[in-house]
Amino acid sequence: MIFVTVGTQFAFDRLVKAIDDFVSYNGFKQEVFAQIGNSSYKPRSFEYVKSLNKSGFDYTMKKASSIISHAGMGTITTALDNHKPLLVMPRIRKYGEVVNNHQVAIARNFEKLGCILVAYETEELPVKIEELKTFVPRKREAQTQMVAERIARFLSKLANNGK
Amino acid sequence: MRNRLRVCLTASAGGHLSQLLKLADSWQGHETVYITTTDVVRDKLSKSGRVYIVGECNRLQPLRVIKVLLSCVKVVLYEKPDVVISTGAAAGCIVCFLGKLTGARVVWIDSITNMEKLSLSGRMTRYIADLFLVQWPELAEQYSNIEYLGAVI
Repeated sequence: MIFVTVGTQFAFDRLVKAIDDFVSYNGFKQEVFAQIGNSSYKPRSFEYVKSLNKSGFDYTMKKASSIISHAGMGTITTALDNHKPLLVMPRIRKYGEVVNNHQVAIARNFEKLGCILVAYETEELPVKIEELKTFVPRKREAQTQMVAERIARFLSKLANNGK
Repeated sequence: MRNRLRVCLTASAGGHLSQLLKLADSWQGHETVYITTTDVVRDKLSKSGRVYIVGECNRLQPLRVIKVLLSCVKVVLYEKPDVVISTGAAAGCIVCFLGKLTGARVVWIDSITNMEKLSLSGRMTRYIADLFLVQWPELAEQYSNIEYLGAVI
């Protein structure tokens, strides 16, 4: 199953419609399930919900064979933590999907690292969906412990020197 | 450790807060106080410290900024933290400045969403921060006095 998610807050009709078109015109075999948020476009060729709660989201993420989403940082890091092949389409300012182009920067950086696939425009989507079938994302490790140790050192130095 | 510090952890609810909470190991053994923006996270946080909700604001809503600022002033004067640690955004930045004015040290971790330049609140807090961390190596090269050790998520 391909899990499509565009976040729960805003619409992302461009992506939802592009996937719907792709699925309906290409005799696409794989099952698709979507969380479409406030998108006003309603897919005809696959099941969808407006929003999943956290446990529903986690469950669907685990069950999915791959993910297609907007370039939200939360979705990207969750998909990478779950080692899922991920294709993103960044929300773009000129289409009124977001107030700035930070999602383009996010997409480009993770693409450069080999962690995700990116379709910047809807025309690229069919090719990228094909690529997604065999895409093996480069593993990315967060260095949470290193950062936490740096802060712990800062605090203990402060505590030992007297406040 | 000679002194147990009072550490004020402050971040907007959502992505900023979840990045901050990833670092919970760092302040183990110290007293913690939370300042965040919405009530939905109160229960989760209240297990490990007092929680203050100051409301959401951003720079496009000047009246709200003032309201949040006043709430933060009250909390900071009452709690008098030794250290403020924040991942942003606007409310976190406000608490950092207030903390600094009342003698606290300031630790800032710029959010992972900032890749090409620091967040606006990060750019302001950089002037007063005692420890300033970023999550992308390119940013550490661009600015002086900031450190990159890795991403937290």
